[in-house]
Amino acid sequence: MLSRIDHWGPRLFTVALLALLAVAAWQWRGGAPISANLLELVPSDTPDLLEQRAEKIVQEPLNRELVVLISFADRQKALSQAAAIGQQWQQEKLFEKVQWDVSYDLAQVRQQVLDNRLALLGAEDRQLLQQDPRAFVERRVQDLFDPFRSQGLIATEQDWLGLGALIEKKLPRAHNVQVDLSGALLAESDGKTWALLRARTRGDAFDGNLPLAVETLVANARTEVQAQGGELLATSGLLYSAHGQRQATREISFMGSVSSIGALLLILVAFRRLRVLVALLPAAVGVLAGLTACVAVFGQIHVLTLVLGASLIGVAIDYPLHLLSKSWTLQPWNSWQALRATFLGLTLGLATNVIGYLALAFTPFPALSQVAIFSSAGLLGSYLCAVCLLPTLLGKGPIVPWAKPYGLATRLLAWRRRLLSRIGTPWLLLIFVLFCVGGVLQLQHKDDLRQWASTPPQLLEQSQAISKIIGFQPTSQFYLVRGKDEEQLLQRQHVLGQRLDALVADGKLKSYLALSQLVAPASEQNSLRASLSAVPANSAALQALGVTPQQVEAEVRQLQALPNRSIEQALAGTFGEPWRTLWLGPTGDGEVAGLVSLQGLSNADLLVAQADGLPGVKLIDRLGQLNRLFAATQISAAELKLASCLLIFALLCLPFGPRGAARVLAVSLLAALASLASLGWLGQPLTLFSLFGLLLVTAIGVDYAIIMRERVGGEATSLLGTLMSALTTWLSFGLLAVSSTPAVSNFGLTITIGLAFSFLLSPWAGEPHSPAHKELAS
Amino acid sequence: MKRFLALLLSVALAPLAHAFDLDQLAAQLAKPAVVRGPFVQEKHLRALPKPLTSTGQFVLSKDLGLLWQLQTPLQQEYRIDGSGIAKRTPQGWQPVAQQSASAQQNRLFLAVLKGDSSGLRQDFDLRLSGEAGAWTLDLTPRSLMLKQIFSAIQIQGGEQVARIELRETQGDSTVLRLTDSHAESQLSDTDRHAFAD
Repeated sequence: MLSRIDHWGPRLFTVALLALLAVAAWQWRGGAPISANLLELVPSDTPDLLEQRAEKIVQEPLNRELVVLISFADRQKALSQAAAIGQQWQQEKLFEKVQWDVSYDLAQVRQQVLDNRLALLGAEDRQLLQQDPRAFVERRVQDLFDPFRSQGLIATEQDWLGLGALIEKKLPRAHNVQVDLSGALLAESDGKTWALLRARTRGDAFDGNLPLAVETLVANARTEVQAQGGELLATSGLLYSAHGQRQATREISFMGSVSSIGALLLILVAFRRLRVLVALLPAAVGVLAGLTACVAVFGQIHVLTLVLGASLIGVAIDYPLHLLSKSWTLQPWNSWQALRATFLGLTLGLATNVIGYLALAFTPFPALSQVAIFSSAGLLGSYLCAVCLLPTLLGKGPIVPWAKPYGLATRLLAWRRRLLSRIGTPWLLLIFVLFCVGGVLQLQHKDDLRQWASTPPQLLEQSQAISKIIGFQPTSQFYLVRGKDEEQLLQRQHVLGQRLDALVADGKLKSYLALSQLVAPASEQNSLRASLSAVPANSAALQALGVTPQQVEAEVRQLQALPNRSIEQALAGTFGEPWRTLWLGPTGDGEVAGLVSLQGLSNADLLVAQADGLPGVKLIDRLGQLNRLFAATQISAAELKLASCLLIFALLCLPFGPRGAARVLAVSLLAALASLASLGWLGQPLTLFSLFGLLLVTAIGVDYAIIMRERVGGEATSLLGTLMSALTTWLSFGLLAVSSTPAVSNFGLTITIGLAFSFLLSPWAGEPHSPAHKELAS
Repeated sequence: MKRFLALLLSVALAPLAHAFDLDQLAAQLAKPAVVRGPFVQEKHLRALPKPLTSTGQFVLSKDLGLLWQLQTPLQQEYRIDGSGIAKRTPQGWQPVAQQSASAQQNRLFLAVLKGDSSGLRQDFDLRLSGEAGAWTLDLTPRSLMLKQIFSAIQIQGGEQVARIELRETQGDSTVLRLTDSHAESQLSDTDRHAFAD
């Protein structure tokens, strides 16, 4: 079959390539299927649809809301500037809502409070009224005399008992945000007044160009404000997303072009024929195949995958380089003959690489599965291109490589032999082991989702400043509460709320929002209605003011006539707005569910305990889950590593026998170990990404060892081939190391160091005293 | 409403200069270090035959803030200063749960204390009429938000501010009479202590 490859290879491959192009074109028909949503990269290990929905609700504001603060020395200027920008933004189609002032329709809020007085009265006030109606009425009278007590929205004659005034007081204070007398939103901090502008976009932070458009609007507004001597702060998930998108695009194009140009120059310098530039084709085919496979499997491709995937160019170029490097000894040059001689090495290399990459696919992290699928498909594509098409493209013309590198390789090998004759391999091994032990002991482990995205300091500073100024500190944890009906749900939330009140009192939690704060369960509404009958007899204090018994009785009758309100009804209108997102409604299995959201948490561990012994209450802690998952994945990474080594070992036994296979594998494992130790010496943390980098080091390092063991065309030629492919791989992974995304940089660094060691150690893959020169076999 | 009380009180309590120009008025407001005197507050509720009347004493310090001592029909002490409104309890001063615009009220209050009438002008149309011995300052709210609460506010005075009236959109009104207030050069030790706690 191999003998006829020059006949069927090019034809078959061309057909396959055309098909691939067609599929890719179809996938990209509606724009680039690229995502920047970090949450897509982490596993959603909650099979519970309700939890997923709840998480989405909690996440949504982060991804759609923009908060802007504007400050001028002249306070009025700040307010008018915020209004001007707000009006301008309102014209933009991309915003669903832009808010810089509140113009509540007070009449509507008034009516709503009046109509829902029975249902909305808070638990403590309800209790006082039921247990001691006389004290309740007396407190009301005191409040009427209180000069600093806002009379409130509702006229006293409509609210003798003050239920409406008490309900109004219950409205959650919007953190530090105040409403100016003109209705404008503002916040004060450190003697500065900030005008607040809030906007909500139609799409979310992961919708194509939306983040970039929002970023531009913010940048323009900032320029305008600064030109007039003011200051502008902005924060939004959209801005982070925009930054991520731009960063990724810049890095991909930078890395992609530098590694392509680097590879191109290397090939030109070494082989000195323009024709050999076709060697770049397999890399291009590889990227295309990787993209197409990734989109086919996942529906889209994440920017992080793209950045990591850009490094694939450096690996994919290895196949043509191995082939071409044989031209130093295999003369006169014949592409197909060279292919036949290197076919085994190339195929083994592909198999080990794919094993290494595919091992990533079995982790629960979609991020790594994407990289795995992208890279495996990419490698397969470029391998097939190199094997089926490349020799034809290279043609029959002679290739006479530059002789100097060959001399260099020969000298390098000679140095190595001299070194070995002075210091034996066992001694070198000892030094090596000491180096590794020293490094590994210094290793620190650290995993954090924040490493997965680059967080620009300016954005972070602004976010922190804003959360300090407006006192808004949302936490990602929240409680999901279920009940068989609204009654049970509200009661469960109330019990949880009492526990949270204790935390708030201790200063361990700033505040929380629960549906039970808004509306009483139906049973409580009923008993309140019944207790109201006792009020007229206890209303002496009011009557002393001149309120007639008839007026009190009329109000009691009016209150008793109010029907019970459901959660849905209580949430309607302006008054229910702060609580509205907490209501999930029917769950589909006959239950109802609602959230309890938290603000300003000092210790996340306390939260778990609050749900103890409360049926139907569950703490949802995404970050905590992820951290546990990171830890669990470490173990599965070690298992995968072992499994992939065994698989590679089994594969290598076929051509090299167990002894040879062990030798080849040992070289790459030692390289991985040395890379691990180097991270320790460099003070770099061991992360999930570096761990998977090590997996790849083993896989790619085996490649180098195979070439050095096979020694097609002689030891020097093989070393040269290894060096060339190592150079291109370093170029691409080394570039990853300068990425601004910590996870990507860590991954790149690990692989770069690992491959350097793989190269240095690769000569040990051959048997020390058997000059197993495999000459041209035809 | 408390914000208006605070602010109007401070406008009212300052002895008035001869000028009828708002700026000069404002300059005059900043002069006395301490003003004290009795007050009578009447809340006129449409549905009640007689007003809710309370009486007491107040002390206004230019630097420290306002003490408001309610004596009848119940006894209660309040304090407004840079940190907000507080109520005296057996355990000491307790901050009163503030509604959202509280810092805003304090800002306005302090602006008036310092004689900065720009704060008032932002939110009200001001009209000063009458003579030095009998003047009237009419405040008409500008913003939609304020208009939904107040229809008009009126301050009257002679040598001293004598009367403040708040007319609410709903038909109720509050009248504050400051019949015998006088300027002092410094706080009494008790008052100083009340501000220091």
